[in-house]
Amino acid sequence: MGDFLGQYGFLIVTMVQAGLLGLSLYFPLQAGQLSLASPGFYAVGGYVAAILLTNPAFAGWRDALGNGMFPLTWLAAALICGVLGLIVGVPALRLRGIYLALATIAFIEILRVISLNLSITGGAIGIFGIPQAFGFQDRWQYIWLFGPLLILTLLFARQLERSRVGRAFRAIREDELAADAMGVPPTHYKVLAFVIGAVLAGLVGAMSAPFLNTWNAKQGTFDASIAILAFVLIGGSRNIWGPVVGGALLTAVPELLRFLADWRLVINGLVLVVASLYLPQGIVGALGGVRRPPPPRRPPSVPVVVEAPGGGS
Amino acid sequence: MELSQLIQNLMNGLAIGSVYAIFALGYTLVFSILGIINFAHGAVFTLGAYFTYTLVVGQFENNGLLKGINLFPDGSPFSGNPWLFALATLIGAAVAGLVAVLIERLAFRPMRSRGGDPLLALVSSLGVALVVVNLIQLLVGAEIYNFPSDAYGQVRPALSFHIGEKVVIIRTVQLIIFAVSLVMLALLGYVIGRTRVGKALRAVAENPGTASLLGISVDRFILITFFLSGFLGGLAGTLVGTAFGVAGPYFGVSYGLKGLAVIVLGGLGSIPGAVVGGLVIGLAEAFVPAQYSAYKDAVAFALLFVILLVRPQGLLGRAQIQKV
Repeated sequence: MGDFLGQYGFLIVTMVQAGLLGLSLYFPLQAGQLSLASPGFYAVGGYVAAILLTNPAFAGWRDALGNGMFPLTWLAAALICGVLGLIVGVPALRLRGIYLALATIAFIEILRVISLNLSITGGAIGIFGIPQAFGFQDRWQYIWLFGPLLILTLLFARQLERSRVGRAFRAIREDELAADAMGVPPTHYKVLAFVIGAVLAGLVGAMSAPFLNTWNAKQGTFDASIAILAFVLIGGSRNIWGPVVGGALLTAVPELLRFLADWRLVINGLVLVVASLYLPQGIVGALGGVRRPPPPRRPPSVPVVVEAPGGGS
Repeated sequence: MELSQLIQNLMNGLAIGSVYAIFALGYTLVFSILGIINFAHGAVFTLGAYFTYTLVVGQFENNGLLKGINLFPDGSPFSGNPWLFALATLIGAAVAGLVAVLIERLAFRPMRSRGGDPLLALVSSLGVALVVVNLIQLLVGAEIYNFPSDAYGQVRPALSFHIGEKVVIIRTVQLIIFAVSLVMLALLGYVIGRTRVGKALRAVAENPGTASLLGISVDRFILITFFLSGFLGGLAGTLVGTAFGVAGPYFGVSYGLKGLAVIVLGGLGSIPGAVVGGLVIGLAEAFVPAQYSAYKDAVAFALLFVILLVRPQGLLGRAQIQKV
């Protein structure tokens, strides 16, 4: 057992972590909003925790609180990411579809450049030597943090789906104008869904900073946002288990392909292509986990602004 | 700002901005026809530079599976003469165009025919980009490769002239990049605006269904669009490579992202918009004061964010009213 955890413990924790990040993107998607901002909030949450745990300015707090410092970092990360999500979300969620996706890509790129240049975030080197919540050799024990967070998030998502708010999210996803006409204020609920995702991503970041021991600008990149999108779409975007299954599997695939050595990242790319072609409903959808029938084909509700090439004439 | 500094920045901005423009046109062409963003475009840009480098130098001496193989033991037929170099650049761009056609065939067409979620096109095109980037790394390693300094022939590396007391220095390669980009833009404008092929492309972009009823083979023009898109992307890759070196397999990633900012700034799907967007972002980056140069990479995205909030249809885009 000890050997197994020594060898695969880190991977298992990473799989749970990926599932959580997938869920952070799933919440806005429930309200029909394609946001790629999760890695940005994940990075901010991690920086908040790393700064609180290493910066000399907080040495007094650490001495006073001991291990109580960790829950404080979670609280701080959730709060800061929630407020940041509100600040970014209110203007950005006036956009729809691909425009919102592009705005959130801009958001994470701006955050990345800022974190590369501030001294408090350690510049290009980042912050390292972040204290461990558990021993460095026993990092599988982080499952005691990520596991309960996953269970709580799933319970929360399930309750949310059954509540008035969840019904409002679905109404907006199916038809925003109709929802608005029925008295469901779309902006209010879209921002709420976005902020829930932001808080969750921030929490995961705050738990991940000690887990990974170092934190730098590589944590919140465009690549990460597409990876997280892939967790959700390939797992299945219409069921709470989709992001969890997708995150766990897509995180495990590169490890399982380790015997392919240098070829594994090439094969990993192929897996993404093949899965998006042959499992359009996602893995959970394909297994029959979706109770609702797939939505009828209809013209996209995205305001496609297409100008004829050579336009102006 | 002094006049000499102004001219210097203007030239820097126009040179890089014109490359942004032709690169971003590759995104625009595909978006205007299919309504999707091809995230593999940055990888095609990288490929174009590597193909041209292969023709001009013939070997990758540093690392990777291709190490030790020399395509031209007696010296490359494409070196030493600027016209031969231009030929190599065009061939490199054309091969990149063919790769883009292959990408459409393998990653986009099957999804269209199955009626998959358009969001999945983002994931599958990024999967393709992952494959391409890691294949390059596997074959030639992650090192930076520089084009031979005489690639453009025996030209002076820089032109300098005086304005009052100050010296303005303009790299020859910047002038070449700017000139080539302008020629490409003019050619593309001609093809799309004045030829039958261009007319058909515009018809497909306007409404694929109607175009097909009028006897235009939509699938064929989608392939032509991808070829043009890959050609422009690959050409941009070589041009940037001659100015700054072919900086490894991830060379195209930052251009890929900036290209997104360019097309949104100009208006998604608008061809003049991509040109204006490219020049605006190139100039905006060139005029970032030296003490803030570390933040230069954020300029494009700050502009993107602002334009989306103020004018989501972009500078030259047409707004469409949301219909039920």
